[in-house]
Amino acid sequence: MTETTVGIGGAAGSFGAGTGQGTDMVLNIGPQHPSTHGVLRLRLVLDGERIAAAEPIVGYMHRGAEKLFEARDYRQIIMLANRHDWLSAFSNELGVVLAVERMLGMEVPARAVWLRTLLAELNRVLNHLMFLGSYPLELGGITPIFYAFTEREELQRVMEEVSGGRMHYMFNRVGGLKDELPAGWTGRARTTVARVRSQMGRLDDLVLGNEIFRGRTRGVGRLDAGTVHAYGVSGPVARASGVDFDLRRDEPYLAYGELADVLRVVTRTEGDCLARFECLLDQVHNSLDLADACLERLAELPPGPVNQRLPKVLKAPEGHTYAWTENPLGLNGYYLVSRGEKTPWRLKLRSASYNNVQALVELLPGTLVSDMVAILGSLFFVVGDVDK
Amino acid sequence: MNARSRNETAPVHLGMPGHGPEAPRLGPLARLAPEPLKVVLNWGRRYSLWVFNFGLACCAIEFIAASMARHDFIRLGVIPFAPGPRQADLMVVSGTVTDKMAPAVRRLYEQMPDPKYVISFGACSNCGGPYWDSYSVTKGVDQIVPVDVYVPGCPPRPEALLQGILKLQEKIARESLGERYAGRPASPAGAPGAASASALTSGLVRGPATPGEEAGR
Amino acid sequence: MIVSAAEDLSVFGTDPWWLVCVKAVFVFAFLMVFVLVSIVMERKVVAWMQRRVGPNRHGPWGLLQSLADGVKLMLKEDLIVKGSDKVVFLLAPVVAAIPAFMAFAVIPFGPADHQISIFGERTTMQLTDLPVGILYILATASVGIYGIVLAGWSSNSPYPLLGGLRSTAQMISYEIAMGLSFAAVFIYSGSMSTSEIVNSQDERWFAVLLPVSFIVYIIAMVGETNRAPFDLPEAEGELVGGFNTEYSSIKFAMFMLAEYVNMVTVSAVATTLFLGGWRAPWPISGVWEGANHGWWPMLWFTLKLQLLIFLFIWLRGTLPRMRYDQFMKLGWKVLIPVSMVWLLLVATVRALRNDGYDFQEITLYVAGGVFAVLLVSLLVDYLREKGDKEEEAARSLAPQEQFDPMAGGFPVPPLPGQTLPPVPRRKPRSERQLVPAAAESLNDTVSVDNTAVKETDGA
Repeated sequence: MTETTVGIGGAAGSFGAGTGQGTDMVLNIGPQHPSTHGVLRLRLVLDGERIAAAEPIVGYMHRGAEKLFEARDYRQIIMLANRHDWLSAFSNELGVVLAVERMLGMEVPARAVWLRTLLAELNRVLNHLMFLGSYPLELGGITPIFYAFTEREELQRVMEEVSGGRMHYMFNRVGGLKDELPAGWTGRARTTVARVRSQMGRLDDLVLGNEIFRGRTRGVGRLDAGTVHAYGVSGPVARASGVDFDLRRDEPYLAYGELADVLRVVTRTEGDCLARFECLLDQVHNSLDLADACLERLAELPPGPVNQRLPKVLKAPEGHTYAWTENPLGLNGYYLVSRGEKTPWRLKLRSASYNNVQALVELLPGTLVSDMVAILGSLFFVVGDVDK
Repeated sequence: MNARSRNETAPVHLGMPGHGPEAPRLGPLARLAPEPLKVVLNWGRRYSLWVFNFGLACCAIEFIAASMARHDFIRLGVIPFAPGPRQADLMVVSGTVTDKMAPAVRRLYEQMPDPKYVISFGACSNCGGPYWDSYSVTKGVDQIVPVDVYVPGCPPRPEALLQGILKLQEKIARESLGERYAGRPASPAGAPGAASASALTSGLVRGPATPGEEAGR
Repeated sequence: MIVSAAEDLSVFGTDPWWLVCVKAVFVFAFLMVFVLVSIVMERKVVAWMQRRVGPNRHGPWGLLQSLADGVKLMLKEDLIVKGSDKVVFLLAPVVAAIPAFMAFAVIPFGPADHQISIFGERTTMQLTDLPVGILYILATASVGIYGIVLAGWSSNSPYPLLGGLRSTAQMISYEIAMGLSFAAVFIYSGSMSTSEIVNSQDERWFAVLLPVSFIVYIIAMVGETNRAPFDLPEAEGELVGGFNTEYSSIKFAMFMLAEYVNMVTVSAVATTLFLGGWRAPWPISGVWEGANHGWWPMLWFTLKLQLLIFLFIWLRGTLPRMRYDQFMKLGWKVLIPVSMVWLLLVATVRALRNDGYDFQEITLYVAGGVFAVLLVSLLVDYLREKGDKEEEAARSLAPQEQFDPMAGGFPVPPLPGQTLPPVPRRKPRSERQLVPAAAESLNDTVSVDNTAVKETDGA
């Protein structure tokens, strides 16, 4: 018995009558699609509105950063490194300088360590606010992102005052930070942190308390801990699935070892979109607390330098090291191999989003097209971080 | 209003790469309209720029920041959230265009209906920016589509985008569509990037009539 | 019932032809202006909700924004997609736009007793009325959906197709709930003609008398017009632009026009059926005798309309989009059963009243029934929750094995079911070196993982 699909009119062609694929429709989401915030491409096979198979196609943002690292000296690398995950620029720079400092055996002044911790946490808040705003937008709620950005702008002003950049701070240097703080900056930072904290409640009310939002995210895109381990998913996405792993606590770098009583690793066990969103929201609160603790500690520290004098030509000694940090989106690692030249021989980048996005293959099949949007948004990835 | 639209001979857009014949696209009315009418038409075009954000990289975040409460380019009549290219008038290419992405950029540009404008936002889309020596990055979006306004910066501040939009609006207010499309030859329907250099830069090099107002450069 | 209504409608259809033309043109112009104002209002109101200023470069206070949009859209290049079904593709926006206007013919702007005079002709503020006016509105409204379906079908592209299909399902499921909510109104007013329905609300608006019907209608009307949170056919984040993804220029403008005219139309129906139509709102009608005479009714009508449009905008500014299946569930499993039960209730009450039962007695019966249902549902909820809790308690009692994160020589996260032992903390900074790993990373083979262990162990 033969099966024929008869179609009349314009859309008959897309039913695959000629291709012999039955009634499965192939939908290409992206590379430029409103919900991919960037240029991730998904190839979906649809059965009605249900997704039968999904395949993320990456590489549309591949800029060859790893190859370019090999052609830049250690000062210039920082500038490229903070651009692959453009929402967590400070943490990206941090990984590079930590690796180079470790190779050089360099001791970083105490004030610089605390300042780095502070700025990294503020950067984490900035990053999370972006996702807290854009996720409801993808679900159709247009207003929350405006509130999230109002707070982002406040924080960005503080960051800009200290570093000169709104997004790409370029404030880390091998051996410390670029500059001393502007006069009175800590006071202003403290006020801003307090103000952002006081306004976070609006996001709680507007998004988390919304029944439609909860209905669309609860139980959707459930990622179990086994899959998390299998795909190397990390960061808030992994912690929402009950994987209690945070480098800040488990392998403390910077000053996190001394912030143990403030640092709270936020975990959930549900592993669905709502849990991921809640994780992010709670992390913001915790990061603001950490920022406050850092500011307090900075005030106690005796005055001192924030950087070290470096030689004119900075060469890392021969060898290799791996520096990983807990970036806002997950584990970010740099594997640095040096042959004693002024450029690295190889600088391998382990980015969080690349692994996180791979889990889509497991998450998407069996869900609806609308869920696809919810899941995609809740994996909190940055396309530049995926494609490097 | 209906009469006006009937004058507009609806050409069949084939969705193929390369520019089709340009001249008849906008119909005789837009070309031959008397001066006061042209002012009205330009006014409408100027203050109703539905923008299609080609958000590719870091600059996309600053683009979003520019549409948010603090900077708010919507007050200038630039309406974001145009869902697709078909309804858009302005394409803002914000971010690094890679060689893999370039055909899609070109294709979406061609899916936009005329008259259409392009703002190249940020160093990467202007010239490759910090990835100038990368093997996979297109060194400037103007190699693929004609650009009206360049906004420099890495990434540019939202204020820079506002300035770029104002420059574009000034340009639109002064322009005549007949001239805009007369200068552009019907390029051979080739692969992306096959348009001749003069075709790609015609809108740029001539620039606005008054000196010292080079758009955003 | 119908017969008596038909008799009441004798005042309609007596206008001279030119007056009919004037009225028709007026209705058209009213809708156009109202739509233009609504679009500007939407931009502005949403902007204020988002702490922005909204458009402000277009004429005074940004009021000409929608005009600028219109001028621009009219002169854009008109694209016809190559693979499309051309006839249907061109027809679809027309099919969507025209019925939206047509429904307004039977909406009363004022009382039906020759209140106003135009060029010496005394006439009513209503184009015409039919004995089955509301059915006519339902009919035209559903024709409009064909435009969307056809647009989705003819575009030959997956996104519009999905959008078109969604809107079909949406229309089918929400038209029923809408019709049921109308039925309650018919029972109370005893007529299907719009002017009669407004007349029968002179004491109490049906929104007060039939609150459930009103709420069901408000939800269904948002669903009918494809507006947030039910804007599934044009869901931006999912389907790019939905059914109008491939439309540009004037055809897109017609879809947009249709959407907003539909908004105005369903709001007008809501006003007519539930909010007392052209009647002045309560405190004014109580104080001022002339509020419902002359040209004034049109003001009240417009105000109520504007209020409902504001509701639409408010919803759009606040709520995220519902998922398709949840939306269907809401329609079929909540709205339709609820309105059916409500309709039964209304019919019963009505019948009891006709038989001369006391109002308080009826209330007692109804309240008793509602309480019984509530009690049962509470009990069911409680039992279910208890079961869940017991299950959870049993789960949490499961034994947990010891887990050593450093077993493999480097830290690994715990597997499901395992818990991390308390992590040894570093000593304060003053008692240790910051970068202890520098020496060995020079040229020996000690890998980073060992370094990590040393850092944690040696602390």
